[in-house]
Amino acid sequence: MSAFLGYLLNGLAVGCAIALIASGLVAVHRVTGVVNFAQGTFAVVAGLCVSSLLGLGLPHGLSEVAAVLVAALAGLLTGLAAIGRPGTTPLSSLIVTLGVGVLAYAVEIVLWGDQPRSAPGLAGSVTVAGARIQTQHLLVIAVTAVTFVLLALFFGRTYLGKALTACASNPYAARVVGLDVRRLGLLAFALGGLLGGIAGVLVTPLRPISFDTDVTLIVNGFAAAVFGGLTRPVVALAGALLLGVAETMAAGYGYGAHQLEVALGLMLVVMIVRAGRRSTIHQEAV
Amino acid sequence: MSRPPVGTLIGLPVAAVTLALPAVLDDSALAVYILLGLAAMVTVGVSLLMGYAGQVSLGQGAFYAIGAYTAALLSLGGVPPPVGLVAAPVVAAVFAVVIGTPLLRLRGHHLAFATLAMQLILLSLAGQLDFTGGDIGLQAIPQFGVGSFEMGGAAAYAYLTWGGLALVMLVTHNVITSRPGRALRALATSETAAASSGIPVGRYKLTVFALSAAFAGLAGGIYCFYTGYVAPGSFPVLISIQYIVMAVVGGLGTIWGAVVGATAITLLLQGLNTLATVPGMPTYAPSVLSYAVYALVLIVVVLFLPQGLLPAVTGRLAARRDRTRQPLTEERDGSAAESR
Repeated sequence: MSAFLGYLLNGLAVGCAIALIASGLVAVHRVTGVVNFAQGTFAVVAGLCVSSLLGLGLPHGLSEVAAVLVAALAGLLTGLAAIGRPGTTPLSSLIVTLGVGVLAYAVEIVLWGDQPRSAPGLAGSVTVAGARIQTQHLLVIAVTAVTFVLLALFFGRTYLGKALTACASNPYAARVVGLDVRRLGLLAFALGGLLGGIAGVLVTPLRPISFDTDVTLIVNGFAAAVFGGLTRPVVALAGALLLGVAETMAAGYGYGAHQLEVALGLMLVVMIVRAGRRSTIHQEAV
Repeated sequence: MSRPPVGTLIGLPVAAVTLALPAVLDDSALAVYILLGLAAMVTVGVSLLMGYAGQVSLGQGAFYAIGAYTAALLSLGGVPPPVGLVAAPVVAAVFAVVIGTPLLRLRGHHLAFATLAMQLILLSLAGQLDFTGGDIGLQAIPQFGVGSFEMGGAAAYAYLTWGGLALVMLVTHNVITSRPGRALRALATSETAAASSGIPVGRYKLTVFALSAAFAGLAGGIYCFYTGYVAPGSFPVLISIQYIVMAVVGGLGTIWGAVVGATAITLLLQGLNTLATVPGMPTYAPSVLSYAVYALVLIVVVLFLPQGLLPAVTGRLAARRDRTRQPLTEERDGSAAESR
């Protein structure tokens, strides 16, 4: 039983990291209609940054915040490339963000080399109902919970957040009432970078990050995001937690080699079932 | 007005040079030449799929891998190599039909991610299963040959590769100039409109998917005989992205564009590789340069040359030819403007 509880909490922590990536994807997709393939890259950039900054002797806290801000900047730059030029279709933008992700490989190898890097996180562990949990896992869960509450407040209570929601629901009407849709799209990309960065900073102490970790991160994040049809952050959060727990359970009970297949298979099934329920006309009109 | 079209004007010398090259190139240049031909073969399929059927596949490398593993397993099992080479595209196409039936209900970014997921699953399985040799892969694959004749030299593989490419291009040409080809163009624009004019959308999409998989499978089959080994590491996700880059650079939906794109990217990478291995360059230079080139070329072409290199160049040439003809008659002017 304690092993089960341990796996459950570890799985929730993994799921929380996935949820942050997924919420970044959702934030960008809602506002701009673009699926940001570079979303995993932001996490990698932040993770590598935090390992370097801590290595330079900067204190905890400062290093993490700086790394997250670097990721937000990376998000803004990605946005400029993807939607900065008027008339870029969402599918072209997807291919551009793919290009940005590959470009980031080159930059990351020059700056950090091609070996995985880690960073010290919260040391120690606590015992919950007989299960030993690393403190870092609890930190991941706590930070994700706070982030989601802040996101809900941002989208529901602030003018800027409501403007973003307006762009998401009807870009044309948003333009009519005087909102700058393009600038808000860029803001969404920066927000995506910020969320990806938080995920990267939290995950780096748990599992070492290298330049090509982004493929795993983005595929998991996308798998979680499709649960909510790429538009509903709360469903994406639930999907991410389910995915994280399923993967950790699979690994814990001896199917560790098939962790990736479990996640990807789940994603394919969800996508195909959802596609079957929506009509072609609706998808083409959106 | 008896000027031949630009295609014939350029095509004939290109074909002649293609045939002459294997005789003059040395072994290392031939290796590049063969890999270029194989990449072009896959890219023609990607271009057909993206340009005509409007579907993005980020998993084309998976079909390449299936072709390579099929041919390798069969010939290691004692089956004559020509049978293995024929089986490679067939198995890839059958696999595409099987997984395409559910996957092609998705579109746009969903399909892109689904095909990427498919490749990741296949690579992971190939690295774990026993009969595919795990991470080490399959080695000591016999040379390609018919009966007692065995192909040894790289030049022979070059002819095999470019012969295969010619076949692939011919098939593609016939597909897109036929009635289904027009139907494909229609469904790339709007599936609803295509379906309402009586086009069997699902069946056509699946056929093109299978056809592009068969092209990749054929390329994979030749690849395994040429290199003599296959392993999961030979088919990274980046290879699928590479085919997208080549297709986009050359111009989606053009047969020659795929070849031009593959040639341009391969030669560019080869040039950079020579530059990167100059003494004094850091050890990471080759991979960094190739990543940077893929990325920058992809971004710049998608944003600024969305039609691709070949249509942009031929479009400009045609415009210039039109301009030189302008003084002839009013009437021709009008028809030229109309045709554009």
